Parts: sequence; C-alpha cells; structure tokens
Amino acid sequence: MSGKELLYLDWAATSPPETKILQECLELSCESFGNPSSAHDKGKQARSLLEDARSSLANFLEHSNGPGSKPPVKKDRGKIVFTGSGTEADQIPLLSVLRSALSKPGGVKNCHIVVSAIEHPAVFAQATLLEKLGVRLTVVNPGPDGRVSPEKIREALCPHTRLVAVMAVNNETGAVQNTEEIGKAVQEAGAGPGSREIIFHVDAVQALGKVPFSPDSAFVSSAAFSAHKVGGPRGVGALWISKEMEALGVGGGQEGGLRSGTENLFGALAFSRCAAKAAENLDERLAHARRLETSLIEGIRLIPGARILPECRMPGDGAFSPWIVNAAFPGLGGEVFARALSDEGIAVSTGSACSHLERRRSHRVLDAMAIPPELAFSSIRISFGNTSRTRDIERFLSVTADLYRRLKT
Amino acid sequence: MDILYLIKPGEILLKKENQREFSRRLIQELKARLSPISVRIEEFPGRFFLFVDETKAERCEFVLSHCPGLNGFARTRLCLKNYAPILDAALAEASQRAAEGKRSFKVEVRRSDKSFPLGSYELAAKLGEEILNAEPSLRVDVHKPDFVVAIEIRERAYVYSQNIPGPRGLPTGSSAKLLLLLSGGIDSPVAGYMMALRGSPIECIHFHSYPYTSKEAQEKVEKLALALTAWCGHTRLWMLPFTDVQMAIKRSAPEETSTLMFRSAMMEAAGILAERIGAKALVTGESLGQVASQTAEAMALTQSSLDIPVFRPLVGLDKEQTVGLATKIGTFELSTLPYEDCCVLFSPPHPLLKPDLKKGASLYGSLGLRPLIEESLRGAEKRSFNYKDIG
Repeated sequence: MSGKELLYLDWAATSPPETKILQECLELSCESFGNPSSAHDKGKQARSLLEDARSSLANFLEHSNGPGSKPPVKKDRGKIVFTGSGTEADQIPLLSVLRSALSKPGGVKNCHIVVSAIEHPAVFAQATLLEKLGVRLTVVNPGPDGRVSPEKIREALCPHTRLVAVMAVNNETGAVQNTEEIGKAVQEAGAGPGSREIIFHVDAVQALGKVPFSPDSAFVSSAAFSAHKVGGPRGVGALWISKEMEALGVGGGQEGGLRSGTENLFGALAFSRCAAKAAENLDERLAHARRLETSLIEGIRLIPGARILPECRMPGDGAFSPWIVNAAFPGLGGEVFARALSDEGIAVSTGSACSHLERRRSHRVLDAMAIPPELAFSSIRISFGNTSRTRDIERFLSVTADLYRRLKT
Repeated sequence: MDILYLIKPGEILLKKENQREFSRRLIQELKARLSPISVRIEEFPGRFFLFVDETKAERCEFVLSHCPGLNGFARTRLCLKNYAPILDAALAEASQRAAEGKRSFKVEVRRSDKSFPLGSYELAAKLGEEILNAEPSLRVDVHKPDFVVAIEIRERAYVYSQNIPGPRGLPTGSSAKLLLLLSGGIDSPVAGYMMALRGSPIECIHFHSYPYTSKEAQEKVEKLALALTAWCGHTRLWMLPFTDVQMAIKRSAPEETSTLMFRSAMMEAAGILAERIGAKALVTGESLGQVASQTAEAMALTQSSLDIPVFRPLVGLDKEQTVGLATKIGTFELSTLPYEDCCVLFSPPHPLLKPDLKKGASLYGSLGLRPLIEESLRGAEKRSFNYKDIG
C-alpha cells in the first residue's frame, strides 16, 4: 500500500459501492428475512420485495436506459432472472442451448453457436467448453477498430446456428458493438425458410448505466448485467430474457427454474436501486465522460511513445464507451506499469501478465484486433466513473508521463 | 513420560581425529533445533540416545528427519539386560509392526557387552521363535524382511524395529558458511539444500527488479528461504534491489549479452557480500546446458570477477532429478507459484550461448557497474529465518 491518496481508475473491474443504498437494502432485507418461497407472511413479505426489485429492474432496463434507447417494441416483453453474477447470467443462455441440443436428434453435432472473439471469458470460455463437448463453434473476429461487423456475423450463420453472442461494450477497449444491426441480422436468419429461431445473447455488463443500451430495442433474446459495476454488491447479476430457456443446473426451481437457490433479496434490491441511480442524468454524465475521455486520450498521445488502442480511436467517437480507454506504453509491460502506478496510489488494470508464456500467447482481445504483440503486452486499461474529475485525469497523466520516462526499458 | 530415540550418525563415523568435534556439533545442533524442548542426549560410540517427553515426539521426529549428519533414527525401548524384559520389548515391537501390515521379519542382535549370558545368534533365534508363536501372521525372512527387530546389548538393552531415514551428510557448522544465490525458481533451493547437507551454514542473496518484478515474487523467495531452514537450521536472506543495475545493462550492453552481464553482476555482488559475511564460496542452482546462460563458457564468464569458488551441486542433474529433490524437500510447490523473478523485457530473445571469456570480461568491465552494485548492497534488506518459525 502506498501512503498516497487513492486515485481509482479501475471502474470497469468494479465500481466503488453506493454505500447508502447498500445499507438501506441490507436493513430492508434483514427486516424481511423470510424465504421468498415460504407461504407464510414473512415469506410473502420477502417475495413481494423481490418481485418489486425484479419489475423495477426490468422496467428500468427496457424503458429508461438513457438517451438513444429506442422506444420499446412492445411493453414488458422480457423478464429478469436474478443470478449470482454477470458470468452466471452469461452462462445460462449458452447452457440452455446445450441442454436443448442434447434432447434433440443429432444431439450437439447439429448445434452451432457463434461468438465474437472479443467476448468476456464468461462467454468465451463457456463457448469453448461447449465446443469441447461437441457443439460447433464459430468465432468471429472484430475489425482493427475492435468492432464486430454485422455482415461477418451474418456470414457465420448456418441453418444449425442456435445462438449468437456479441457483447454490448468491450471491457478492455470500450468498443461499442452494433448490437442493433447484429440483432437484426440474427433475427432475419432465424426467420428464414426452414430456419429455427436463434438466441441472440448480449453481455451488457459494461453498458449498464454507462452507454445507451436497451435489450428491448435490439432484437435481443437475452442480456447479462452485473450489480457491482454500478455501485451494487458483488455476487449479484441479472439475466434479462425474452425467450424461453432451459436450465442445465437445477434445484428448487427459483427464478423461473433458470437459477435455483434461495434468492438473494438484499442483492436484488440493491441491484435494482443502484441500476436506477446509475442511469440518472445519463445525458449529462455522458457529456462529462466525453470531456474526461478527451483529456485522457489527448494527454496520453502527448506522452512520447505512448499509444491509444486501437490507434484509430478519437475522442468523442460514439463507437467507444467514453468510460474505458486502453493505452499501450511500449517497452514496459502492462503489469509492471500497473504495479508502478499502484505505488503512486493509482489503480488501473491490465490484461497482460509479465511472463514468457503470456508474451507468446499475447492477449486474446487485442490479438483478435491484430494489434502487434508488443503493444498488447504493454497495454493498460484506464476506466473511470461518475465521481471521476478532470483533475484525476490530470494527475494520472502527469504521474504516467513521469513513470513511463523513468521505467521504459 | 520420556521416550527414547536411538540415533545413527552417518558420515561423521568415518572421521578419525575430528570425530569428537563433529559429534559435538551434531549434538549442539540437535539441541538448538529442539529448543525450547529440553532433551537429554547420551553419546556412545556409533550411537546417540535422545530422551524427550512423549508429548514432543512429533516435533522431535521432524527435527531428527531434517537435521544434517543423521543417517537414521528409531524410537527405541530401553530395558534391563535380562532375557524376560528383552523378550517383552521384542514382542511389543513385532506386534506393532504386524499391526501396520508388515509380514516378514528377522531379529538382529548386537552384543557389545559380552558378559550377557546368551550369545548373539542364540538370543536372536530364541526371540524369533517367540515372535513367531505370538504373531502368527508373521514369517521369518533373513534376506529381505519387511522389518528388523534390532536388539543392542550395551550398558543397557535397547530394542527397536523402525528405521526412519535421516538426511545424511555432515552436521551443520562443520563446513564453511556459504552464500546461496536464491531465485524464485526450482533449482536454487535444491542447491542450497544439498550444500546444507555438507554441513555448511547457508545465507541467501536474492536480486529483485521491482517494479519490473512483483512484491509477490519477493514474498515467494522469503517462503523458500524459510523452507530451507528446515534443513540448514537458520538462514538470512539479503534482498538486493537490482533494477538500476539491470537498466544500466539494458542500456549499454549488446542485447544478446544482457543475461550474461546481468548474471556476472549478480555474481560480483554476491562475491562482495560473501566476503563481508564470511561466506567462503557461492552456491548456485546452475545445471550444465539447462538454459543459454548455463553453458561452461557462460559459467566461466559469469564467475570471472570472483576469487572464491562457486559450488554448483546440480551441475550434472537433469530437470526431472532436480524436481524430484525439490518435491522431497518441500520447495517445489513454492517455486512453481506463478510469480516471475525476472521481467520478460530484460530477457533477450536470442541470448549468446558461448561467450568468449576475454571479450565478455572486458565488456563487463567496460560497463562500470561497481558503483551501482555497491549502491544495491547498501539498499539491501536483510531478513532472518529461524528454525522455530517452521513446522
């Protein structure tokens, strides 16, 4: 630990908690301690709070997710399944496809899924596991700008395709994906003669409260969210679904049978309230974020040798979430730089580790964007949030310029 | 209640004039490692007897199985030099081994007190017969028995049937102090262990390049140093900040030579420290041909600034043999924790394999690293690891 004041620039990993909301929700859930499945009053009280949290989160996700969200196709088309994490929310649709394939003639061999190469491991590792179990997997690379083209997704589809997964906002580069067009392409393919419906799953963990995204506006079948990215507690996620799914893990049948286990009332309450708060004044906050993004990107480009990844990214570009910036400092491992920054009280993330193995393997997401391994190896992710200020960016830039000059090999 | 361990010292029995001195060191070391447990140790030709409270048996056996200079030990029954108590003890031992699933045995009698009425062979035969009668599951096998019931008739009679191996080697302190270059890898702790078994007190030196290497990597080295104390009894770890030296090499030396220059600088620093702490040689985990910097030519260059020897006990072992030893001494799991002790940015993609000694030494000299090395020694952090901190 350094004795310096903490400058937290790792909001994409987890955000600082909304302490007041969390305390209120904890008290509320302690008062309503009954099991929401119990038939007595205490159970009903808990059930009622849980269902309020569910409908307010669904309503918020579908109808009030900031500017740019399209009017709903139809009212309350989806429902919310509370899960234990964003990862678990991502797993459910993929495992549902597996279960359904196992019960059909031809089994997994006739099941094809498509995922983008830049997915979070919650999707990517799960898809890779399905492939090991016999499911056919197509991985679609993004362009050098980190964005996946709807055309490429369309080309990857075949009559056996059961699921397509493309995330809303990439967690390493901030690249915003065109889920609207991709969703359309998937829906058209699924509606073609002789075709079966295709699940279009969107990992929207980095979109919630950050950029306009409404699952209802993008022909989305399911979307995953996580509470701790918006000030909520860790250990709570949500899956928004508009299509029937089948669980591979079963138990007491809670959450519509998709996520068995006694419900986390505290987590559900806190999630729905924090999500609502995160979306307040999204217009203003986005404008503020764009200002910070501009200072950050322009400032990094002034540091000799430093690069923004992808290099085509310009401040204010709607193709990127302003809250996440990826930068490379060639001649210095990202992990080393993150450690040195940490000693100065600055918290950032890195995807690359300082080892021979990692150097060869490089980094999956940046690699898929054809970013040279030396740059990927030296990259760090800077991500900020609601309470970040201009002077935070200034402090980051000045410390970074000094450290990079001293530590560059 | 006190129990008794019969201890078999090993190599020190081969010493002639100095045997008493080696024995004294072994006893001193055993007492120090067992402290604060109080024990009584009696010394007889070729045997030590250690009396300790029964509740301390576990700690005592840990110490005995890790203390260099011991070939083996056995928990032993002490009895009067009469047939009846000897028989009782032998039956009790045999019954214990039979309960452990052992199936064959033999009886061995050593009778240094020749006044005992029965001859060695006669006593062994009688006891063997009684054991067979009492334990029908056992049979006699004089060539490859599962266990031996040993009877030693000396000033008293001793009966035992276990033989727990000790680490062998020489008692700690009977050879000169050595300085071990301890990385976070698999090899160097094993090298330290091997030299500890030659009776050398061991101190350790580690070079870190923070922030290019992590604090976790340093903590891993501390854990390795602590693990080594199980064998060497006590150690000190000198942590040298070597980032500036490494940066200077990266700046000034041709890339393919950088690893060799870095290793030469580590050797030079270790040589200076060795002199200051009274260590008479360095120890490394190098193995011939294992990596680019471990060729004979590279070793000649990296040690060229030294006027003390470098001991490389693993030089003729392959990786599998070293891993086997690391597993045995309990350092393998620590060594394979995923914290690198060298940043990849300092490792040349094509290192020089067979440097010319003269050219290499002259290049090293031209780098003028001595002031940076001295600075690093001044900034060294020293940590002590004691035997009592383990187990």
